[in-house]
Amino acid sequence: MSETITGDSSMQAVLQVFPGAQRALFRKYHIGGCSSCGFQPEETLAGVCERNGDLPVADVLEQIRQSHEEDARILIEPSVLAKRLDAGEDIRLVDIRSREEFEAVHIESSVLLTQPLMQKILGTWDNDQRFVVIDHLGKKGLDAAAYYLGHGMPNVHALRGGIDAWSLEVDSAVRRYALN
Amino acid sequence: MKDDLQKKVAEAIRDPKNVGEMSDADSVGTVGNSECGEMLRLWVKYKEQDGQKVIDKASFQSFGCETAIAVASLATELIRGKTADEALEMKPEELSGELGPLPPMKIHCAELVQGALRDALSPHDQELDQAESPAKPAELSPTLQDSLNAGQAKSGGINIQFLDE
Repeated sequence: MSETITGDSSMQAVLQVFPGAQRALFRKYHIGGCSSCGFQPEETLAGVCERNGDLPVADVLEQIRQSHEEDARILIEPSVLAKRLDAGEDIRLVDIRSREEFEAVHIESSVLLTQPLMQKILGTWDNDQRFVVIDHLGKKGLDAAAYYLGHGMPNVHALRGGIDAWSLEVDSAVRRYALN
Repeated sequence: MKDDLQKKVAEAIRDPKNVGEMSDADSVGTVGNSECGEMLRLWVKYKEQDGQKVIDKASFQSFGCETAIAVASLATELIRGKTADEALEMKPEELSGELGPLPPMKIHCAELVQGALRDALSPHDQELDQAESPAKPAELSPTLQDSLNAGQAKSGGINIQFLDE
Protein backbone atom coordinates (compact mmCIF):
# COMPACT_ATOMS: atom_id res chain seq x y z
CA MET A 1 0.00 0.00 0.00
CA SER A 2 2.89 2.36 0.79
CA GLU A 3 3.97 2.05 -2.87
CA THR A 4 0.80 3.92 -3.84
CA ILE A 5 2.07 7.10 -2.20
CA THR A 6 3.81 9.46 -4.59
CA GLY A 7 4.43 13.16 -4.88
CA ASP A 8 0.97 13.54 -6.38
CA SER A 9 -0.71 11.99 -3.35
CA SER A 10 -2.72 14.27 -1.11
CA MET A 11 -1.42 14.81 2.40
CA GLN A 12 -4.61 13.18 3.62
CA ALA A 13 -3.67 10.01 1.72
CA VAL A 14 -0.09 10.22 3.00
CA LEU A 15 -1.33 10.39 6.59
CA GLN A 16 -3.71 7.48 6.04
CA VAL A 17 -0.91 5.22 4.87
CA PHE A 18 1.72 6.66 7.21
CA PRO A 19 -0.04 7.91 10.37
CA GLY A 20 3.31 9.10 11.74
CA ALA A 21 4.13 11.20 8.68
CA GLN A 22 3.33 14.49 10.37
CA ARG A 23 5.62 13.62 13.25
CA ALA A 24 8.35 12.63 10.81
CA LEU A 25 7.95 15.80 8.74
CA PHE A 26 8.08 18.02 11.78
CA ARG A 27 11.06 16.36 13.37
CA LYS A 28 13.09 16.43 10.20
CA TYR A 29 11.85 19.45 8.26
CA HIS A 30 9.72 21.55 10.61
CA ILE A 31 6.61 20.92 8.56
CA GLY A 32 3.20 20.39 10.13
CA GLY A 33 4.10 21.44 13.66
CA CYS A 34 1.80 24.42 13.96
CA SER A 35 -0.37 26.78 11.95
CA SER A 36 2.58 28.61 10.43
CA CYS A 37 4.13 25.46 9.00
CA GLY A 38 1.02 23.32 8.59
CA PHE A 39 -0.47 21.86 5.43
CA GLN A 40 -3.93 21.31 4.02
CA PRO A 41 -5.29 17.76 3.71
CA GLU A 42 -5.92 18.19 0.00
CA GLU A 43 -2.45 19.60 -0.69
CA THR A 44 -0.15 17.21 -2.54
CA LEU A 45 3.08 15.99 -1.03
CA ALA A 46 4.96 17.54 -3.97
CA GLY A 47 3.24 20.87 -3.31
CA VAL A 48 4.22 20.81 0.35
CA CYS A 49 7.80 19.99 -0.61
CA GLU A 50 7.92 22.77 -3.17
CA ARG A 51 6.82 25.52 -0.81
CA ASN A 52 9.19 24.34 1.90
CA GLY A 53 12.46 25.10 0.24
CA ASP A 54 11.84 22.84 -2.77
CA LEU A 55 12.63 19.70 -0.83
CA PRO A 56 13.32 16.60 -2.97
CA VAL A 57 10.11 14.57 -2.90
CA ALA A 58 11.99 11.27 -3.01
CA ASP A 59 14.05 12.21 0.06
CA VAL A 60 10.97 13.30 1.98
CA LEU A 61 9.14 10.09 1.09
CA GLU A 62 12.11 8.05 2.23
CA GLN A 63 12.19 9.98 5.50
CA ILE A 64 8.49 9.26 6.02
CA ARG A 65 8.99 5.56 5.28
CA GLN A 66 11.98 5.29 7.61
CA SER A 67 10.13 7.10 10.36
CA HIS A 68 7.17 4.78 9.85
CA GLU A 69 9.45 1.83 10.50
CA GLU A 70 10.92 3.57 13.56
CA ASP A 71 7.41 4.18 14.85
CA ALA A 72 6.72 0.47 14.52
CA ARG A 73 9.75 -0.21 16.71
CA ILE A 74 8.46 2.17 19.39
CA LEU A 75 5.15 0.36 19.62
CA ILE A 76 4.71 -2.60 21.93
CA GLU A 77 1.97 -5.17 21.46
CA PRO A 78 -0.47 -5.52 24.38
CA SER A 79 0.16 -9.27 24.62
CA VAL A 80 3.92 -8.76 24.64
CA LEU A 81 3.67 -6.15 27.39
CA ALA A 82 1.42 -8.43 29.45
CA LYS A 83 3.92 -11.29 29.20
CA ARG A 84 6.84 -9.11 30.18
CA LEU A 85 4.96 -7.66 33.14
CA ASP A 86 3.96 -11.16 34.24
CA ALA A 87 7.61 -12.16 34.02
CA GLY A 88 8.42 -9.44 36.51
CA GLU A 89 10.25 -7.05 34.22
CA ASP A 90 10.73 -3.55 35.59
CA ILE A 91 8.44 -1.75 33.18
CA ARG A 92 6.53 1.30 34.36
CA LEU A 93 3.19 2.21 32.85
CA VAL A 94 2.44 5.88 32.27
CA ASP A 95 -1.12 6.78 31.35
CA ILE A 96 -1.45 10.00 29.38
CA ARG A 97 -5.26 10.16 29.19
CA SER A 98 -7.43 12.62 31.10
CA ARG A 99 -7.92 12.19 34.83
CA GLU A 100 -11.59 11.35 34.25
CA GLU A 101 -10.71 8.53 31.87
CA PHE A 102 -8.00 7.26 34.19
CA GLU A 103 -10.35 7.22 37.16
CA ALA A 104 -13.00 5.45 35.11
CA VAL A 105 -10.68 2.67 33.97
CA HIS A 106 -6.96 1.99 34.01
CA ILE A 107 -4.43 -0.80 33.83
CA GLU A 108 -3.28 -2.05 37.20
CA SER A 109 -0.01 -0.50 38.35
CA SER A 110 -0.24 2.32 35.81
CA VAL A 111 0.13 5.93 36.90
CA LEU A 112 -1.51 9.04 35.51
CA LEU A 113 0.86 11.49 33.85
CA THR A 114 0.74 14.77 35.71
CA GLN A 115 3.02 17.78 35.52
CA PRO A 116 4.98 16.68 38.62
CA LEU A 117 5.36 13.17 37.20
CA MET A 118 6.49 14.59 33.88
CA GLN A 119 9.21 16.51 35.72
CA LYS A 120 10.10 13.45 37.73
CA ILE A 121 10.48 11.28 34.64
CA LEU A 122 12.80 13.79 33.00
CA GLY A 123 14.60 14.79 36.18
CA THR A 124 15.01 11.69 38.31
CA TRP A 125 14.20 8.55 36.35
CA ASP A 126 17.14 6.63 35.02
CA ASN A 127 17.47 7.39 31.31
CA ASP A 128 17.40 3.65 30.63
CA GLN A 129 14.22 3.05 32.61
CA ARG A 130 11.74 1.01 30.59
CA PHE A 131 8.28 2.49 30.48
CA VAL A 132 5.22 2.31 28.30
CA VAL A 133 2.96 5.21 27.42
CA ILE A 134 -0.73 4.36 27.41
CA ASP A 135 -3.42 6.38 25.70
CA HIS A 136 -7.01 5.57 24.77
CA LEU A 137 -6.81 4.28 21.20
CA GLY A 138 -3.13 4.42 20.36
CA LYS A 139 -3.23 7.74 18.55
CA LYS A 140 -1.38 9.96 21.05
CA GLY A 141 1.01 7.46 22.60
CA LEU A 142 3.55 7.63 19.81
CA ASP A 143 3.81 11.40 20.11
CA ALA A 144 4.37 11.15 23.84
CA ALA A 145 6.93 8.37 23.44
CA ALA A 146 8.72 10.40 20.75
CA TYR A 147 8.90 13.30 23.20
CA TYR A 148 10.74 11.19 25.76
CA LEU A 149 12.92 9.60 23.10
CA GLY A 150 13.90 13.13 22.14
CA HIS A 151 14.97 13.67 25.73
CA GLY A 152 17.39 10.77 25.66
CA MET A 153 15.21 8.00 27.10
CA PRO A 154 15.65 5.14 24.62
CA ASN A 155 13.53 2.51 26.37
CA VAL A 156 10.16 4.19 26.12
CA HIS A 157 7.41 2.47 24.18
CA ALA A 158 3.82 3.23 23.28
CA LEU A 159 1.10 0.64 23.76
CA ARG A 160 -0.18 -0.33 20.32
CA GLY A 161 -3.91 0.43 20.21
CA GLY A 162 -3.88 2.02 23.66
CA ILE A 163 -5.94 0.81 26.60
CA ASP A 164 -8.71 -0.15 24.19
CA ALA A 165 -6.50 -2.82 22.62
CA TRP A 166 -5.42 -3.95 26.09
CA SER A 167 -9.06 -4.50 26.94
CA LEU A 168 -9.71 -6.42 23.72
CA GLU A 169 -6.56 -8.51 23.71
CA VAL A 170 -5.37 -8.89 27.29
CA ASP A 171 -7.85 -8.04 30.02
CA SER A 172 -11.56 -7.68 29.32
CA ALA A 173 -12.07 -6.57 32.94
CA VAL A 174 -10.69 -3.23 31.77
CA ARG A 175 -13.88 -1.81 30.36
CA ARG A 176 -13.94 -0.31 26.90
CA TYR A 177 -15.41 3.13 26.47
CA ALA A 178 -16.07 5.93 24.02
CA LEU A 179 -15.82 9.65 24.53
CA ASN A 180 -18.86 11.74 23.68
CA MET B 1 28.12 18.81 6.56
CA LYS B 2 24.54 17.73 7.01
CA ASP B 3 25.61 14.37 8.43
CA ASP B 4 28.08 16.12 10.69
CA LEU B 5 25.31 18.31 12.09
CA GLN B 6 23.08 15.32 12.63
CA LYS B 7 25.88 13.57 14.47
CA LYS B 8 26.43 16.56 16.75
CA VAL B 9 22.71 16.89 17.35
CA ALA B 10 22.51 13.20 18.19
CA GLU B 11 25.38 13.60 20.66
CA ALA B 12 23.71 16.57 22.31
CA ILE B 13 20.39 14.73 22.48
CA ARG B 14 21.97 11.67 24.03
CA ASP B 15 22.82 13.68 27.12
CA PRO B 16 20.97 16.99 27.04
CA LYS B 17 22.11 19.44 29.67
CA ASN B 18 19.90 21.52 31.94
CA VAL B 19 16.60 19.84 31.15
CA GLY B 20 13.69 20.51 33.46
CA GLU B 21 11.91 23.15 35.43
CA MET B 22 13.91 25.26 37.88
CA SER B 23 11.92 25.73 41.06
CA ASP B 24 13.96 28.70 42.33
CA ALA B 25 14.25 30.53 39.00
CA ASP B 26 14.25 34.33 38.94
CA SER B 27 12.74 34.46 35.49
CA VAL B 28 11.01 32.27 32.94
CA GLY B 29 10.47 32.71 29.22
CA THR B 30 8.19 30.80 26.88
CA VAL B 31 7.92 30.74 23.13
CA GLY B 32 5.38 28.80 21.10
CA ASN B 33 1.93 27.77 22.19
CA SER B 34 0.12 24.77 23.60
CA GLU B 35 -1.52 23.80 20.32
CA CYS B 36 1.73 23.94 18.42
CA GLY B 37 4.30 21.20 18.21
CA GLU B 38 7.00 23.76 18.86
CA MET B 39 7.21 25.08 22.35
CA LEU B 40 10.17 25.96 24.47
CA ARG B 41 10.35 27.25 28.02
CA LEU B 42 13.50 28.52 29.61
CA TRP B 43 14.24 29.29 33.26
CA VAL B 44 17.03 31.59 34.43
CA LYS B 45 18.63 32.09 37.84
CA TYR B 46 20.93 35.04 38.49
CA LYS B 47 23.79 35.63 40.91
CA GLU B 48 25.98 38.56 41.86
CA GLN B 49 29.53 38.41 40.53
CA ASP B 50 32.07 41.21 40.71
CA GLY B 51 29.30 43.72 41.34
CA GLN B 52 27.33 42.52 38.33
CA LYS B 53 24.16 40.49 38.05
CA VAL B 54 25.06 37.51 35.88
CA ILE B 55 23.29 34.33 34.88
CA ASP B 56 24.11 31.63 37.38
CA LYS B 57 22.26 28.83 35.64
CA ALA B 58 19.52 28.19 33.11
CA SER B 59 17.31 25.25 32.30
CA PHE B 60 14.72 24.41 29.65
CA GLN B 61 11.90 22.19 28.56
CA SER B 62 11.15 21.67 24.91
CA PHE B 63 8.40 20.07 22.95
CA GLY B 64 10.05 20.25 19.60
CA CYS B 65 12.55 18.68 17.29
CA GLU B 66 15.94 17.32 18.24
CA THR B 67 17.77 20.37 16.94
CA ALA B 68 15.78 22.73 19.17
CA ILE B 69 16.59 20.55 22.17
CA ALA B 70 20.26 20.40 21.19
CA VAL B 71 20.48 24.17 20.73
CA ALA B 72 18.70 24.80 24.03
CA SER B 73 21.04 22.40 25.77
CA LEU B 74 24.10 24.20 24.40
CA ALA B 75 22.67 27.68 24.86
CA THR B 76 21.86 27.15 28.53
CA GLU B 77 25.51 26.27 29.04
CA LEU B 78 26.82 29.18 26.94
CA ILE B 79 24.88 31.92 28.74
CA ARG B 80 26.21 31.03 32.17
CA GLY B 81 28.25 33.86 33.63
CA LYS B 82 26.88 36.39 31.14
CA THR B 83 24.80 39.41 32.04
CA ALA B 84 21.27 39.57 30.64
CA ASP B 85 22.41 42.17 28.10
CA GLU B 86 25.33 40.02 26.97
CA ALA B 87 23.06 37.00 26.59
CA LEU B 88 20.49 39.04 24.70
CA GLU B 89 23.15 40.12 22.22
CA MET B 90 23.88 36.53 21.25
CA LYS B 91 22.77 35.67 17.74
CA PRO B 92 21.05 32.38 16.86
CA GLU B 93 24.25 31.07 15.28
CA GLU B 94 26.13 31.81 18.50
CA LEU B 95 23.51 30.07 20.61
CA SER B 96 23.85 26.93 18.53
CA GLY B 97 27.48 26.88 19.67
CA GLU B 98 29.45 23.81 18.69
CA LEU B 99 26.67 22.57 16.42
CA GLY B 100 28.11 25.06 13.99
CA PRO B 101 26.19 26.92 11.27
CA LEU B 102 22.67 25.57 10.92
CA PRO B 103 21.11 24.94 7.49
CA PRO B 104 18.25 27.28 6.54
CA MET B 105 15.57 24.76 7.55
CA LYS B 106 17.04 24.51 11.05
CA ILE B 107 17.77 28.16 11.80
CA HIS B 108 14.25 28.33 13.15
CA CYS B 109 15.34 25.98 15.97
CA ALA B 110 17.95 28.43 17.20
CA GLU B 111 15.50 31.31 16.80
CA LEU B 112 13.09 29.40 19.02
CA VAL B 113 15.74 29.31 21.75
CA GLN B 114 16.60 32.96 21.18
CA GLY B 115 12.90 33.84 21.51
CA ALA B 116 12.56 32.02 24.83
CA LEU B 117 15.75 33.65 26.04
CA ARG B 118 14.50 37.11 25.12
CA ASP B 119 11.24 36.41 26.89
CA ALA B 120 13.07 35.30 30.02
CA LEU B 121 15.64 38.10 30.04
CA SER B 122 13.53 41.07 29.02
CA PRO B 123 13.27 43.77 31.71
CA HIS B 124 9.49 43.41 31.78
CA ASP B 125 9.72 39.77 32.75
CA GLN B 126 12.36 40.37 35.34
CA GLU B 127 10.18 42.96 37.05
CA LEU B 128 7.23 40.65 36.83
CA ASP B 129 9.18 37.79 38.28
CA GLN B 130 10.57 39.85 41.11
CA ALA B 131 7.07 40.87 42.05
CA GLU B 132 5.75 37.33 42.13
CA SER B 133 6.89 34.01 43.46
CA PRO B 134 9.15 32.06 41.09
CA ALA B 135 6.57 29.31 40.55
CA LYS B 136 3.77 31.65 39.57
CA PRO B 137 4.77 32.51 36.00
CA ALA B 138 4.87 28.82 35.12
CA GLU B 139 1.38 28.37 36.51
CA LEU B 140 0.08 31.29 34.49
CA SER B 141 1.44 30.01 31.19
CA PRO B 142 0.44 26.93 29.22
CA THR B 143 2.52 23.98 30.32
CA LEU B 144 4.41 21.53 28.18
CA GLN B 145 2.22 18.84 29.59
CA ASP B 146 -0.71 20.62 28.00
CA SER B 147 0.96 19.98 24.67
CA LEU B 148 2.03 16.48 25.48
CA ASN B 149 -1.25 15.46 26.98
CA ALA B 150 -4.25 16.71 25.06
CA GLY B 151 -6.43 14.49 27.23
CA GLN B 152 -5.44 16.34 30.39
CA ALA B 153 -6.26 19.63 28.72
CA LYS B 154 -9.76 18.36 28.06
CA SER B 155 -10.34 17.45 31.71
CA GLY B 156 -13.63 18.68 33.07
CA GLY B 157 -15.75 18.37 29.94
CA ILE B 158 -15.49 14.67 29.25
CA ASN B 159 -18.41 12.32 28.92
CA ILE B 160 -17.33 8.69 29.16
CA GLN B 161 -19.69 6.05 27.84
CA PHE B 162 -18.84 2.42 28.54
CA LEU B 163 -19.36 0.23 25.51
CA ASP B 164 -20.76 -2.69 27.51
CA GLU B 165 -23.70 -0.70 28.87
